[in-house]
Amino acid sequence: MSEQYGQPLRPKGVGAPTTAGMTIISMKYVRIWRRLAVMSFMVQAESFLSSFGYLLGKLVRLGFFLFFLYSIFKHTDALAGYTLPEVALFFLTFNIVDILAQLFFRGIYGIRSMIREGDFDYFLVQPTNVLFRVAFQTVDFLDVLTILPVFAITFHLLRLIAAHQGQPSNHQINMILYAILTLNGLLIAFAIHIVVAALAVLTQELENTIWIYRDLMTLGRFPSDIYDTPMRDILTFIIPVAVMVSFPAKAFLGKLDKVWLAHAFLMATTSLALSLYFWRFATRRYTSVSS
Amino acid sequence: MKKYWAIFAIYWEEGLSRRASFLMERFRALVVLISFYYFWSALLKHRTSFVGYDRTQMLTYVLGMNVLRSLVFATRTEEIASEINHGRLSGYLLKPVNFMFYTLFRDLSEKSINLVSSLIEVLGLMFIFGVKIHWPPNFQSWLLFATSSLGATWLYFILSFMTGCWGFWTSEAWGPRFLLELFLEFTAGAFFPLDVLPQLAQEIIKCFPSPYLVFFPLQIFLGKLNSHQILNGFLTQAFWNVTISALARLVWSKGMQNYSAAGS
Repeated sequence: MSEQYGQPLRPKGVGAPTTAGMTIISMKYVRIWRRLAVMSFMVQAESFLSSFGYLLGKLVRLGFFLFFLYSIFKHTDALAGYTLPEVALFFLTFNIVDILAQLFFRGIYGIRSMIREGDFDYFLVQPTNVLFRVAFQTVDFLDVLTILPVFAITFHLLRLIAAHQGQPSNHQINMILYAILTLNGLLIAFAIHIVVAALAVLTQELENTIWIYRDLMTLGRFPSDIYDTPMRDILTFIIPVAVMVSFPAKAFLGKLDKVWLAHAFLMATTSLALSLYFWRFATRRYTSVSS
Repeated sequence: MKKYWAIFAIYWEEGLSRRASFLMERFRALVVLISFYYFWSALLKHRTSFVGYDRTQMLTYVLGMNVLRSLVFATRTEEIASEINHGRLSGYLLKPVNFMFYTLFRDLSEKSINLVSSLIEVLGLMFIFGVKIHWPPNFQSWLLFATSSLGATWLYFILSFMTGCWGFWTSEAWGPRFLLELFLEFTAGAFFPLDVLPQLAQEIIKCFPSPYLVFFPLQIFLGKLNSHQILNGFLTQAFWNVTISALARLVWSKGMQNYSAAGS
């Protein structure tokens, strides 16, 4: 079999799919995702009390942190030069990227058990992209319910900050930049998830790596400006939490230089390309470990 | 008593053998510590004090909360619900041990490992960032701090033991436990001193046992309480300890009446 792992099988002599073919393939993946989502929802609905506790916990955590920020700004006007709505925007942007990454790439968290129990082998022989199958194996509906209030509060804050700033012509551009950079952050998060999955395929261990990423992400709860030089550089160039979380908020506030915009896009494309290469490298060397 | 120390020693070794989980837990604590260190440093950059805390006191609170979180919140009581649900509790009941003391010493091993690690982390950060610490002025303050920390450790243990007992009635204890832990951590002052909150919020939070887990011991450490407030605090902490211990005993005995296990 000359096909690479992680690629859907295509008969020899068949060229790249046409636009219509691509649409059919996309629809197929949407259908698979929907089916996996329904299955995940059924599992979560089965343990209602536990799911309800988790959901409430996530909402309480969000509420407490916002209340903490509100309380802090009762005693000060600014944190590292940012006002309360601006600091809250940083915190909510962190939540958007973090929750969306959990919502869409939750399957990566269970990759080790997929490999150990043979599910990964099963995915390899299915006519779908293995990475897609692994990443979207689980859809956490609690995150769907958590992201809704986050979106609502963020939207309110964006309008509030825009109204306070004036210059309406810049708002649309800043809003578009905010959306693009948030998606850019999500792409970097995806790249990190792919690397974690590839490490698990290579070693059948290291599933804890994803938790290192989750913990490091929490450094982005506050504006990256609160960190001093070596730490800020680490968060911008090595562990790009600032690029994923702080850059979108800064772009909306009009405080992000064009050079940093280019840096953000370059970082996303490079990390995604490298992670996909690493994933292919890992899957090529994979030998089944389950019975 | 000897057998419980043997349990302590076994779980100490087991805790150290689960290196990945242990390191992950400490890494998480370190990230929280670093982020709040920078947060408060940024807030206190151009001012001498914030809500009555000068820079030294605030950073002492941040480092102190890392140590106290490791001592108070480190637990393995989350295993109780699953032990009940899967019938493993029967194995403990057949052994010549008191299950609550068994879990207490299992917890103490976890707490001591985390405490040692957190002290090393704090010393490391003090060295790297050159943080000055506001030390208690005399032996009496150290003694009061140690006593309140012990009270806090028992309070959290008995609370989490009781929530572990939910396993007698449901196999879905994880979600409500997650909610309770988050609530306790936030209202305990395990992320920030509670006096930054508005007065009304502080008054509401003081109606719960949580401020006596981290906030109260650290207030003693920082010398922010007068003798009347300290006495009042100890009495309230003792009240919660007695009340929740009694409640936990009741929940345990009711649960045992409800408990059944089948299989080998």
